[in-house]
Amino acid sequence: MSQNEALPCNQILNSFVLLLEEGREVPMLHSIEIHLSECPNCTAELAHEKKVHSLIQDVLRRTCCEVAPEELHDSIYQQIHAQMSGAFTTGVTTEFSMTEISIEIDEFGNVEHREITIEHTEEIRFLNGSQDENE
Amino acid sequence: MTSTDLVKESSADRAIRFERDALVFTNQLYAAALRYTKNPHDAKDLVQDTYLKAFASFHQFEPGTNLKAWLYRVLTTTFINTYRKDQRRPQISGGEIEDWQLADAASHSSNLGKSAEVEALENLPDSDIKRALHEIPEEFRIAVYLADVEGFSYKEIAEIVGVPAGTVMSRLHRGRKQLRERLTEYAKDLGYSVKTPQGSKAAKATDATKEEDS
Repeated sequence: MSQNEALPCNQILNSFVLLLEEGREVPMLHSIEIHLSECPNCTAELAHEKKVHSLIQDVLRRTCCEVAPEELHDSIYQQIHAQMSGAFTTGVTTEFSMTEISIEIDEFGNVEHREITIEHTEEIRFLNGSQDENE
Repeated sequence: MTSTDLVKESSADRAIRFERDALVFTNQLYAAALRYTKNPHDAKDLVQDTYLKAFASFHQFEPGTNLKAWLYRVLTTTFINTYRKDQRRPQISGGEIEDWQLADAASHSSNLGKSAEVEALENLPDSDIKRALHEIPEEFRIAVYLADVEGFSYKEIAEIVGVPAGTVMSRLHRGRKQLRERLTEYAKDLGYSVKTPQGSKAAKATDATKEEDS
């Protein structure tokens, strides 16, 4: 009983918070263990504290698991892409250009001159870095 | 490509890596932001700001280290600096304290019976759990969330929140205690039986710490 006198139940109960944490250094651990081995009340209390501790963790984890709305996923994605656009280089390449010219002279001597230009242009976005490899 | 190009990641590659590695945490960060801000509108803004800030400073993130913890640090810092700025709330003191003092602030025997407490915790509706979390002071709430929901260690939480580990411990223990007190109250409201506390010493210790917490 001398050990119990040295560490009253009150103090044992107060040490539970430290005993619940894994890897925590607990002051007077040896005395606490001796007390627990002699005191069923404190042992029952400790078992209950451990149970409640893990139960509250379970309940919190079960509860705090909201899924972000689709629009949030989308807007984050878009904003990052907007910022990312700085990482792209846009190149404009003219692949070919063709001009068709036709001149018509009718019976009264009027000259009709038509010119049609067809041009094919392509916009290419390079990822910086991969462009270096091309060059 | 020069050798420095090979060593230095291009900004486009970094963006692709960010998209691949960081965006998977959107749901988790949103759930945390809901607890931080307590409302969906601010939570959305907070998560969006967090990602933009994280993206802008992603070059500072060291690959191979804990990306989730890094994102939580950005989230928490953004919350503290932006969303809380106008509130001008006095900070709850949570300085380093002695282990035994810390233990004194610990939670014990609620005045529900043991089996009633366990049963109540198993059956309380989600809305009550969230309400209880929202009612405890912000510093405590963040510490409890990071430890008990996300499973971060003291050391990680200290880095995320930017306070010493001793402060984290103090906030965590006091937060857990207050959370449990509130959950017990709700359980009583729901009709779970109230029992005379068995360990009166423990009950007194709980009462004694009540004032400093409020």
